[in-house]
Amino acid sequence: MAYRAAVAGVGLTEATSPRKQTRSTIELCQQAVQATLAHSGASPDSIDAIVTGNIDGFEGTVLGAKHVTRLLGIGADLPVTIVNTGGTTGGNLMQVAARMVRSGTHRRVLVLGGPTFFGSTDLQSAINTNSPMIIEQPLGMGGYHMGAFAASAYQERYGLTADDLAAVAVADHAKASRNPFAHLRYEMTPEEVLAGRPLSSPLTQPMVCPISTSAVAMLVADPEDVADLATTPALIKAMGMSADPYLGGGKGDFSRMQNLANLARRVYALADIRDPLGEFDAVEIFAPYAHMQPMQLEALGFAPPGGGIDLIRSGATDAGGTLPTNMSGGPKCTNAGVAGELAPYAYAALQVMGDAPASIQIPGARRSLGHGTGGSFFQFENLAIFESLARSN
Amino acid sequence: MTTTANTETAAPTQAVHWDLHYDIHLGETWSQFMEGLRQKKILATGCSSCVRVFVPPQAYCESCFEPTDGWRELPHEGTLEVFTVAWHGFTGGPQAPYAIGAIRLDGASTLLMHWVVGVDFTPGADVREQLPFGTRVRAVWAEERTGQILDIAHFEPVG
Repeated sequence: MAYRAAVAGVGLTEATSPRKQTRSTIELCQQAVQATLAHSGASPDSIDAIVTGNIDGFEGTVLGAKHVTRLLGIGADLPVTIVNTGGTTGGNLMQVAARMVRSGTHRRVLVLGGPTFFGSTDLQSAINTNSPMIIEQPLGMGGYHMGAFAASAYQERYGLTADDLAAVAVADHAKASRNPFAHLRYEMTPEEVLAGRPLSSPLTQPMVCPISTSAVAMLVADPEDVADLATTPALIKAMGMSADPYLGGGKGDFSRMQNLANLARRVYALADIRDPLGEFDAVEIFAPYAHMQPMQLEALGFAPPGGGIDLIRSGATDAGGTLPTNMSGGPKCTNAGVAGELAPYAYAALQVMGDAPASIQIPGARRSLGHGTGGSFFQFENLAIFESLARSN
Repeated sequence: MTTTANTETAAPTQAVHWDLHYDIHLGETWSQFMEGLRQKKILATGCSSCVRVFVPPQAYCESCFEPTDGWRELPHEGTLEVFTVAWHGFTGGPQAPYAIGAIRLDGASTLLMHWVVGVDFTPGADVREQLPFGTRVRAVWAEERTGQILDIAHFEPVG
């Protein structure tokens, strides 16, 4: 009977634009799974369940990725659990797998996040189908239109400038340029970010994530049963998820991320985190739009309200700072749907395993934070805290 | 389904197109709301155990999990709390640019999302300077109303 769960292996594929992607969804998923097995050292027959999922309509299917699982090369008789929580599916995959292992019903669960943003010829059109029907869908909102409400309200309340938004995007691009698994691996200047095509005020295209194709997988295992594995597992010390109202108008206040702040309090208490800024060695947060990163840093207790941008501009969130954040370049530079939402957990786990790509590894990282958010108007939030297992023992 | 001969400049793909129609049942609460709109009334429900007033109406309070107990008509005016200008839309959506706002109708605890007019869409214009957050707005009714959210054509600044 296991009461703990750990990430014992991670597999990432390289990311590209849909146009350049020569592999199919199934081939990318196979590649991520094989990479996970290779990283963990686990034999395929030691895996006893798969958790995967997708987002309705985004791939031209509502199959929930069920069509992929038999083709992964790890056996035909594995139980499959499908998760579909819209944009947060990726983060919730790991949480479901961890609960299966913690409960003792499963020993090793493979978590698979596929390239959900792959096929749609106009992704904003697909996202609009997931916005609240009847009341809000007729108004014409895709993902970045919904995101722009928070950007506008936060700017109004705290004075965040366009230059501030550009600074966030510039920092993300600098980080992504060092990550071999990132999609947009080029640096940008603030002038280039500001001169980008306006999408939905105040956001320009370079302030918004790309549509990427990649797959991410991980192995969630019983940490007492890892003798045959090759990695230093990342213990999932604490985790949780939380939901807001579905209607955008139910949020009440777009200028703060109260739902995330509530969740952070709950998850920090589980892991006995009392000084968030001092207790994490690496943070990976799901901030596909530039304004989200300062807002999330505040909700997570790393900065006072309105102070997120000061933390970013201080260099604290860069490599070598006190709170290295999104060393991967984050979803602002690589966003492949379910794979993109699983990625923060994958990178946060890799950091404390000591197995992140050398160019983005924080030396000696022992505790990290992973975050996901998504759904219409970012209805759902999820968080997990990872610790290097050597420390917990 | 059609096959695209798109192999020279990009990875080969095959087109898939969905053309599906659905009739979504509004239920009792939203049916009443939509009938109100047809009659130029904005109807809301209130929680039976707290002070929250919901528009669009809800049968249950999301905070107390108690049923809402009674209908009330809200004024057609409120405060524009935030808006965004969609400079770039999407296939099948409204013609960009358009402005979508979150409006706090007087007496409502929730925001009502709807189109707002009164913004100059000249490229490069400071849209928020022209329509500051906090501007008072009122509903403009569509000539023909059929019991749907677009029976309110949009909201416009008062005065």
